[in-house]
Amino acid sequence: MPAAETLPAGRLRRGLTEPLLPFAALALLAVAAAAADQAVLCWASVGALAGYSLSGSV
Amino acid sequence: MLFSPGWRAPVRQGQVLAVFTLGLLLGGTLTAAVLWLLSGLAAPLPGAVRTGAILAVAVLGVAREAGWVRVPLPQNARQIPQDVLQRRVRRGALQFGFELGTGVRTFVSASAPYVVALGLLLSHQGPVTTILAGTGFGAGRAVTAAVRYASRHDEWDDRRVTRMPLLTNAIGITVLIALAVLLV
Repeated sequence: MPAAETLPAGRLRRGLTEPLLPFAALALLAVAAAAADQAVLCWASVGALAGYSLSGSV
Repeated sequence: MLFSPGWRAPVRQGQVLAVFTLGLLLGGTLTAAVLWLLSGLAAPLPGAVRTGAILAVAVLGVAREAGWVRVPLPQNARQIPQDVLQRRVRRGALQFGFELGTGVRTFVSASAPYVVALGLLLSHQGPVTTILAGTGFGAGRAVTAAVRYASRHDEWDDRRVTRMPLLTNAIGITVLIALAVLLV
């Protein structure tokens, strides 16, 4: 039995590529930028969210 | 599929992703530049009216995503022809990305892009803010391809499809909250 449990690469990759993760990061950035009155960053992240909402649409 | 694990073209997939992303960024930037030029037309309107209209559109977007109202979208209901990618892989990926990035050459089925475009039109932000929002749009579209590529598994598409209703609803609400906090 191994001394320390390690996460299989497949599971780690699957977790890191979870489709909801980019949304969470961008949403935090957009709202935080809005609260800090950082208009450029807020609009850029809101734009990125809009782009991500078309995920898979071609 | 451009970023399928079953890729067999004689060009490295990472290169194609880079060129595709560049096209997306250029397309989004171009559309935003046009929006910025047009946004001057909204400048004479009182600020409160413009903010109210932006938030009303954002609420409508949330309601549409939730299925509470039906709003036909003025989208270009066509797909970019497959042969764009078959002639020359790199140039095709650039063109494909550019057309997707503009947001006017193909389907735009979610509400958030319309909310952001109308928000930029009505709020008449500075050129840098508007253009970076467009570049952000292209980057947001590129995230899908990049994560899909990084997953190295076709199963990722199933996960994305499963989460799409949640994603579009959550994005609509987030856009509403962010714009309300920023503009009010």
